[in-house]
Amino acid sequence: MEEKPRILLVDDEPDITSNLAPFLERAGFSVGVAADGVAALRRVADTSPDIIVLDVLMPKLDGREVCRRLRASGNWTPIIMLTRVGEATERAMTLGEGADDYLNKPFDPHELVARIQAVLRRARPGTPPLTAAHRLACGSFILDRAARRVLAAGRELPLTPRAVALLDYLMTHAGELLSRERLLDAVWGWDYPVGTRAVDMRIAELRKHLEDDPDSPRYIETVPGQGYMFIGQMEAAP
Amino acid sequence: MRKYWIWLVALAPAGVAGILALLLQGGSLPNLVLQFRADLGALLLLAGLLLSVAGLGIAALWTLARRRQERAVAGEQASAAEAHRRFIQRLDHELKNPLTAIRAGLANLDSAPGQAERQDVLVSVSAQAERLGRLAADLRKLAELEAQPLERAPVDVGELLEEAAELARQRPAAAERDLALTVPRAPWPLPAVAGDRDLLFLAVYNLLDNALKFTRAGDTVEVRAFEDGASVVVEVADTGSGIPADEILHIFDELYRGQGARGVEGSGLGLALVKAVVERHGGTVAARSRPGQGSVFTLRLPAG
Repeated sequence: MEEKPRILLVDDEPDITSNLAPFLERAGFSVGVAADGVAALRRVADTSPDIIVLDVLMPKLDGREVCRRLRASGNWTPIIMLTRVGEATERAMTLGEGADDYLNKPFDPHELVARIQAVLRRARPGTPPLTAAHRLACGSFILDRAARRVLAAGRELPLTPRAVALLDYLMTHAGELLSRERLLDAVWGWDYPVGTRAVDMRIAELRKHLEDDPDSPRYIETVPGQGYMFIGQMEAAP
Repeated sequence: MRKYWIWLVALAPAGVAGILALLLQGGSLPNLVLQFRADLGALLLLAGLLLSVAGLGIAALWTLARRRQERAVAGEQASAAEAHRRFIQRLDHELKNPLTAIRAGLANLDSAPGQAERQDVLVSVSAQAERLGRLAADLRKLAELEAQPLERAPVDVGELLEEAAELARQRPAAAERDLALTVPRAPWPLPAVAGDRDLLFLAVYNLLDNALKFTRAGDTVEVRAFEDGASVVVEVADTGSGIPADEILHIFDELYRGQGARGVEGSGLGLALVKAVVERHGGTVAARSRPGQGSVFTLRLPAG
């Protein structure tokens, strides 16, 4: 029998961990719990979990600092950050820290399970995730994540900031089928009440500037009735 | 003490002149032209007094202006505190109801006789949890709107309105209402507005959504746009139930819900969001209404 993936769940709210831990166990994981950042670092050193689910706002040592310290010490255990404040600032900050994914609170516990599985599938043990890279190269273009711009043949493409953020999310979740709702939640930061045309319009903007033909895509594939998937081959660029 | 220094400064010339005059009279101050001694003292005294009178006048005006300013600031603080207090009250209300429902549901869970009854309780509890989730999401949207950098790309308002109307027409309520859209083509099309298309869409759609909510079958909803050289103006008008005059002042406040909105689905944050979006774009919102006849909401956005 294959061993269950081991999760370290870090949150200072006992009400959250005491409900979430049994849920994750029923979903097929073995779950350890830590109540603050200091305890989390100790548990990581003692038990080397397969993945860490990390709340951002915590006493003593917050989630962001835990992530920074682990990465600085060369530990690339996959991390999903649970954020609670708005996307814009929080998202930008998560970038330099090398978290693999993030989920806005409040979230549906089933969604957390799906994200854990996706991150575990994507992770290459011991190596930095693509989300830790500041520049990603794919085909004929480079996404400069830190500067929030896209370069093709040395020139910056005239993309709207939200289109760049969307491309960033697609590329760092390459090979994952991403529904429009999930993209709205992750990139726009809201559960948009106005339908999902907003996503389609930004995808069209990206395709136009990346010269990606929707009928035979090199980068962004439409999965009819379901969403989008990034299919380009990528590598971290210097 | 700081409050009085200006009066001291104003009186200083008179005081100095008086002392000089006294010293001159008493001869304790050496004077080069002795025969003008008395006249010089009187002149000094007069000049000092005049200077002081002018000084007192300036000081009085200055004090008055300062006091008025202080009163205005205090007034603003008081009304901000009042708005904050009302917001907290409404938030309390919005949280209390679903929480009460959840607690009642959980209390029932113990005594629920069978699986079906337990399922009913869980469905209702999770609906309330979702309601709280939506409230949190809307509050976050509002907070983000104020902090987030705004995207500024040319937005085709005519096309945006057509898309919003199209989306609204898909709502079941729209089938029973006459929903009309007028976008000018002559003498020239609407100019573009520099801004965040998704946010502007949200603002317009929220107004349309409200218009559908507060009208009945057979009512008319009109969306129209025009430009006046400086601004692009969007109006969303309806022949619905209208808003009483004492409520219309508050409808853009966070979580405010008028009498007519009781029992209608919504977080009470829709119009606050509309206002925040439009103001972030440097525009204004306004509402006019006649109870029983309908309402018109006007968005004014800087063109170009």
